[in-house]
Amino acid sequence: MTLPELGLQILWARLAWGVVGAALLLSLLPLRGTKPRAAVALLALAAMWLPGPASPAWWLGLAFQQPSGLFAALCGVSVWKRFADRPEQQTLPLALAAALVAGGLVLYADAVGALALGLYPWGFDAPQAPVAAVVLSVLALAVIVRGRQHAAAWAVLLALTFHAVTHLPTGNVFDALLDPLLWLWALARCVAFLIARLRGRATVAPTS
Amino acid sequence: MSRARRSPRMLVLALACVMLGAAAEWRRAAITGATAREPRLAVKPVAGAAKMPRLVPRSSQRIPMPDGVPAAHASALTVLPSGELLAFWWAGSRESAPDVSLYLARWADGRWSSAQKVVDRAGLGRQLGFGVRRIGNPSAWVGPDGRVHVFMVATGLGGWAAARVVQLESADAARSFTVRRVLPLTPLADTSVLVRTNPVGLDDGGWLLPAYFELRNKYPMVVSFDADGAPRWLSRIGRSTTALQPALLPVSGTELRAVMRDIGPSHRVQQAVSHDAGRHWEDVAPLDLPNRDDSVAALRLANGGYVLLHNDTLPGGSPRQWLRLSTSADAQAWTPALDVQRGNAGDEFSYPSVQQLGRQLHVTYTAQRQAIGHQVYDIEDGEGAP
Repeated sequence: MTLPELGLQILWARLAWGVVGAALLLSLLPLRGTKPRAAVALLALAAMWLPGPASPAWWLGLAFQQPSGLFAALCGVSVWKRFADRPEQQTLPLALAAALVAGGLVLYADAVGALALGLYPWGFDAPQAPVAAVVLSVLALAVIVRGRQHAAAWAVLLALTFHAVTHLPTGNVFDALLDPLLWLWALARCVAFLIARLRGRATVAPTS
Repeated sequence: MSRARRSPRMLVLALACVMLGAAAEWRRAAITGATAREPRLAVKPVAGAAKMPRLVPRSSQRIPMPDGVPAAHASALTVLPSGELLAFWWAGSRESAPDVSLYLARWADGRWSSAQKVVDRAGLGRQLGFGVRRIGNPSAWVGPDGRVHVFMVATGLGGWAAARVVQLESADAARSFTVRRVLPLTPLADTSVLVRTNPVGLDDGGWLLPAYFELRNKYPMVVSFDADGAPRWLSRIGRSTTALQPALLPVSGTELRAVMRDIGPSHRVQQAVSHDAGRHWEDVAPLDLPNRDDSVAALRLANGGYVLLHNDTLPGGSPRQWLRLSTSADAQAWTPALDVQRGNAGDEFSYPSVQQLGRQLHVTYTAQRQAIGHQVYDIEDGEGAP
């Protein structure tokens, strides 16, 4: 295992929760113009640096520890979209959401003892873990080169590079790519897609 | 917009990210590979066959509680290089109360010091940068450089299922502690992992920390540390989902046995064995010792014999009223040797911890959830000195 120092983890948690908070607020508040959006984003970022229980990061850490690099990066994409006025683009593409849901199902089933694969320890020190990280980075690069799902591919690439350099958030490659909140987001994305698909079929289904 | 996405500058930046990541991963793999020699268990060779230890009670007392604190539970013993015995336990107004803190006391010259607070939840939160809801079981180990490592349960939002393991460290013989890290043991926001029993040493100065997962399913695990207190690897013990709180018994440089609390239908002390110093495990048949969801403690003595602390049941009695000590020469066949405590129905003597100090065996345990009891036994065969 190569673990990050506690001080670095505390810095990461505050910064990353700030980005998550900014993305959440900007998606909930109907703000127009750059200045109000910037003010809200800065407020979310600054609030995380309040001392002790005054900081939302204190309570978010109590419940969820730290966000994964990918979750923070996708929230960063979401914030960028608001400023760039591109809300029509999907922050979390369906293919990535489906991969996160499927991967998370196996990882979490193993973690709660329903399976006995030893996946999570693999993410720390298996010789294949760095190879897998590099292969995923190359895949993300290929998606960027093709110009499809550009922003999400950047998020994956940045999360993996950030983990390789800093080992944040925990030293485990799975924690760089997934956390329970991101998994729930991906699940909601897949469920929403399925519901829309079923409704679409019902609408166009011929009556006889 | 598509052109902007594929701008050469961005593509170069993306390629640079891939190369930077690959270089960093390569470096990490090289460092890990360079230190990849698997240490063996620190088992001192014993001349001749291991002896069944014979124990004679010497003294019985309770560790002094902090003033005005009515509840105590879950002690852990360790020995400083000076020969001082340290006991850690948690105490407060009741289990899970906000005022529960981790305490320690020192055994020297045949008596206990007053209780010293190690940390409370506010202090933990300050050092961790996030909140802590409850404080729970400690486990303790002294590294080869004399630093004291304490691993303690500190929960997130929720009950014990939201437990995390925090590693504390002291460089001044347990006079002050700093938080080193939260151990990353599950992908579920680090939750639902606890510690209870003592680590065992490795021949390179590292150690193996027993831990366990507890969220509906319960399974045991082990974490390897290097001599500096940095985690090396993590491994699940066997495939059982009804065994927890493993106590480790080194048999040879590579053979390691785990005896465990049982929440399954067999009501026996559960067991697993590793033949590569804890890296891989297989479940084996439970011991012929009763266990009804009670924590155990175990130790390999310096003379090669083994002791196991476990609860037993009396007809019509309650589960934790009888705390026994069994002995073994091979860590497989156990013989009840003595009663540590035998109370009335409704009494509780539970959560034992055990350490050898010279030719004495020290046993601590939760006494009625009000204090930590302490029994000292002489190891009579004369070959128990470390």
